[in-house]
Amino acid sequence: MIRERLGKELLFFDGGMGTLLQEKGLAPGELPETWNMTHPEVISEIHRAYIEAGSDIILTNTFGANALKYHDSGYSLEEIIKSAVSHVRNVVQAAGAARPVYTALDVGPTGKLLKPMGDLDFEDAYNAYREVMICGERAGADLIHIETMSDTYELKAAVLAAKENTSLPVFATVIYDERQKLLTGADIPSVIALLEGLRVDALGINCGMGPEQMMPVLEQYMRYASLPVIVKPNAGLPVQRDGHTCYDVLPEDFAAYMERIISAGACVAGGCCGTTPDHIRAMTEKCRGMKILPVTEKDDTVVSSYGSAVFLGNGSKIIGERINPTGKKRFKQALKEHDLEYIMREGITQQDCGAHILDVNTGLPDIDETTMMRDAVGALQSVVNLPLQIDTVDPEAMEAALRIYNGKAMVNSVSGKQESMDKVFPLIRRYGGVVIGLTLDEDGIPSDAEGRVAIAKKIIREAAKYGIRKKDIVIDALAMTISSEPDGAMVTLETLKKLRDEVGVRTVLGVSNISFGLPSRPVINAAFYTMAMMNGLSAGIINPCSADMMRAWYAYHALAGLDENCAGYIAKYSGEAPAAPAAAAGAAKMLSLKECIEKGLKDDAADRTREAVEEQDPLEIINGMLIPALNHVGEGFEKGTLFLPQLLMSAEAAKAAFAVLKDQMEKSGEVREKAGTVLLATVKGDIHDIGKNIVKVLLENYSFNVIDLGKDVPPEEIVKKVVEEDIRLVGLSALMTTTVVSMEETIRQLREKAPGCRVMVGGAVLNQDYADMIGADFYGKDAMQSVRFAQKLFGN
Amino acid sequence: MKRRTDEAVRYLGYGKNAADERTRRMVDEAFLKLEQAADPKSICRIFDIGQNSEDGIQIGNLTIISHSLARNLRGCDKAVLFCATLGAEADQLIRRTSITDMSRAVILQACAAAYLEEYCDDRQRTIGEEMAREGRFLRPRFSPGYGDFDIHYQEPIMRMLDCAKQIGLTMTDGYMMTPSKSVTAVIGAGPDRTGCVPGGCESCGKTDCPYRR
Repeated sequence: MIRERLGKELLFFDGGMGTLLQEKGLAPGELPETWNMTHPEVISEIHRAYIEAGSDIILTNTFGANALKYHDSGYSLEEIIKSAVSHVRNVVQAAGAARPVYTALDVGPTGKLLKPMGDLDFEDAYNAYREVMICGERAGADLIHIETMSDTYELKAAVLAAKENTSLPVFATVIYDERQKLLTGADIPSVIALLEGLRVDALGINCGMGPEQMMPVLEQYMRYASLPVIVKPNAGLPVQRDGHTCYDVLPEDFAAYMERIISAGACVAGGCCGTTPDHIRAMTEKCRGMKILPVTEKDDTVVSSYGSAVFLGNGSKIIGERINPTGKKRFKQALKEHDLEYIMREGITQQDCGAHILDVNTGLPDIDETTMMRDAVGALQSVVNLPLQIDTVDPEAMEAALRIYNGKAMVNSVSGKQESMDKVFPLIRRYGGVVIGLTLDEDGIPSDAEGRVAIAKKIIREAAKYGIRKKDIVIDALAMTISSEPDGAMVTLETLKKLRDEVGVRTVLGVSNISFGLPSRPVINAAFYTMAMMNGLSAGIINPCSADMMRAWYAYHALAGLDENCAGYIAKYSGEAPAAPAAAAGAAKMLSLKECIEKGLKDDAADRTREAVEEQDPLEIINGMLIPALNHVGEGFEKGTLFLPQLLMSAEAAKAAFAVLKDQMEKSGEVREKAGTVLLATVKGDIHDIGKNIVKVLLENYSFNVIDLGKDVPPEEIVKKVVEEDIRLVGLSALMTTTVVSMEETIRQLREKAPGCRVMVGGAVLNQDYADMIGADFYGKDAMQSVRFAQKLFGN
Repeated sequence: MKRRTDEAVRYLGYGKNAADERTRRMVDEAFLKLEQAADPKSICRIFDIGQNSEDGIQIGNLTIISHSLARNLRGCDKAVLFCATLGAEADQLIRRTSITDMSRAVILQACAAAYLEEYCDDRQRTIGEEMAREGRFLRPRFSPGYGDFDIHYQEPIMRMLDCAKQIGLTMTDGYMMTPSKSVTAVIGAGPDRTGCVPGGCESCGKTDCPYRR
């Protein structure tokens, strides 16, 4: 079994396949895997040459064999994989090498980008890989090698598919560019965190660069990885010559580089594009018998997003607490309305304020938490590159979120109760993650530090049964309000200290609980936060938009010598000296609300509105100032004296003003009558929604109630909503000729099921003729026109 | 620098009008942000043109039927297939900004388009210099979706260049490129310089286009 040898002795992969096939006549764009059927002798010959060259692991010719690439090749996927595996196995048998030679099912990218960047759903990617993995194991592969991956999300789908559907060892290698990042932006520690969380057997680097360029990448792998590392370089960087791609590193030079790579810590060595049996022979002859460096367990506590990793332990990390409905009316409303944009904005704001990780809690009694949690995580990871903390007590919601999460998540939480541990630990084992352990159990919360430390130890012991290491557990020492427990703060601080010094585990706190029931809570919170950091708090769950908390954070790090040259502190606060108001700001102060909106000054518009509501009724402000200002700008746009950016700046300023008024009206119970409901969607197959979003901003300003179904929306979904809500106006957007087809189909279905509904259309390729042809009621060449049409239709 | 700013302003619908100072400042800021986020990459490969007739243009194993492309490639014996992208993070920046500030998002969108064009021009200049050494001159690049060059040709072109693996450029089922700020094109190369035709807007038949230069 290869698992027993892995990481204990040096193993050799084979070299390039695709580049060799091209030399033998594979045309550009031709699917190489069809050669398993059409040129079996060529494939077998290449495998044989690699075995003779000394390879221990031979990859099947199945790099691109997945249902997303093979829908019309004339062969079934199963046929291709079966024959590919049997070519290797037959050659291995015939070669009769004295050493064991393993057959590795080669699995590459699907060639599609996953949502939200592309149109491939995570579960569809998973299912495509699932089929490949099952076929491969059934055909007799000894292991699965997932390689050349350049997107962590696709990588996760592939690894999960392999782990959940086969019992084979899983190797995974990725391709870095010269920035040492994946094409979709992930850095090295975040890739390692994801793969180790998913419990692959070995991980590493292939393709993209030559052996020389891989050295610095390998050094980082040795620093962060706790698993055996695979290195498979190209034969140098590609060079274009006479319209062909060439790789220039010669076999002897390749072997010399690989000797260095193995000395630096690689346990499994091989070649990728441009390497030949000669390269592999030179490598195995030079390196066979080399001792590998021992694989060492690293002690880092790491969570990751699709783009970067956050390490807990060096200083204290900030976990943003604001995505949580507890005590927040506006947030509860957003959850009830499935307002993902609101949640995304909360995430972005907290990142801008300085959060390192975002807590995500969507629990509300009367909503479907699983769906909401999954959608919120999906939405947040499309706009924020911070790691997320999945915060729920519902195991179903927790699993749904962990499954689609693009990275290694933080999980909030497990407790010392057996039932909780039985439910949560299997999920961490399966998807990876750093889990918060609450120091409470069946007997409640111990009143002293010893009791809480004992529960922490119990949690760590129980986790070990699942193979979850201490470094992946962060203990919550629990902050109890000092208004009811006078020594609560001291017990918590002592617990933190003991956890750090005696147990050696990372810690977390929901800091602001400490001041519950007291006046001027930020005063207590900030002081307690500083004390907690002093006692070893690895991460505080706080409001990063609270100036008090951030001052405490920056000051602590500067004082504790954790902020080199106080650079972070200086960057943050050096500009805070009470500066004289700039001339422009002074001038803006003189502007009226109407002028602020016309000039698109968001903050000033909000300020002026706040002043205005002191004296005037909100509805009067809307009708007397906001609407005339918007009309003025709209007319300017229509006349061609104002342009889109200005129109939108005014719209944003008006939006800020409306937000102030909305708060005011909610207090007074006043209602602004809606002008009508408009449903907006970008049609199926179309993933560009900026045009639709522009229309939405404008319609909302003109007091239309907008139901936004998003992008890539199937006709059926639109029709269903229209019928359910009895909607009179639908706005559809499509960017390309290829997607106008779905627009036409949507209109057809709407005519059939909702004949009373009007349809307005817009988008880059449309014009009046085209709109007439597909049966739309109105073509809007810009966003203002859709507002005008809506106004006409609803008679206002 | 000036040119790309002018181009971005044109994409924003200003036509021949000058942009106001605030918009220009926001355009400059957007370019700075894009330079952080974008990671432009390209790939090209040179093919012989087998034939160029009514029945189609033969580029490698690919046959393309398009009068507009045929006209563009007249007198060429080589075709460079070319793909470029600003990368996934530029898209992410635009998506993120559209949540917080629509006017900035629209400006970023326009700047990204101008940035990509500038990058493609730059790459094309390098390719042109290499081809000039062999005594060939480039035609303006021509992309699927323009004239009667069907958008569906995007798929084989991307496959022939192995775009997904090489530069991370993929396509949706609806033939949209992902990342969205990307280009696929055919660039003709031939021995005579006189065959060169003006590129970009001026050569396009859509004279009523609001974005025309």
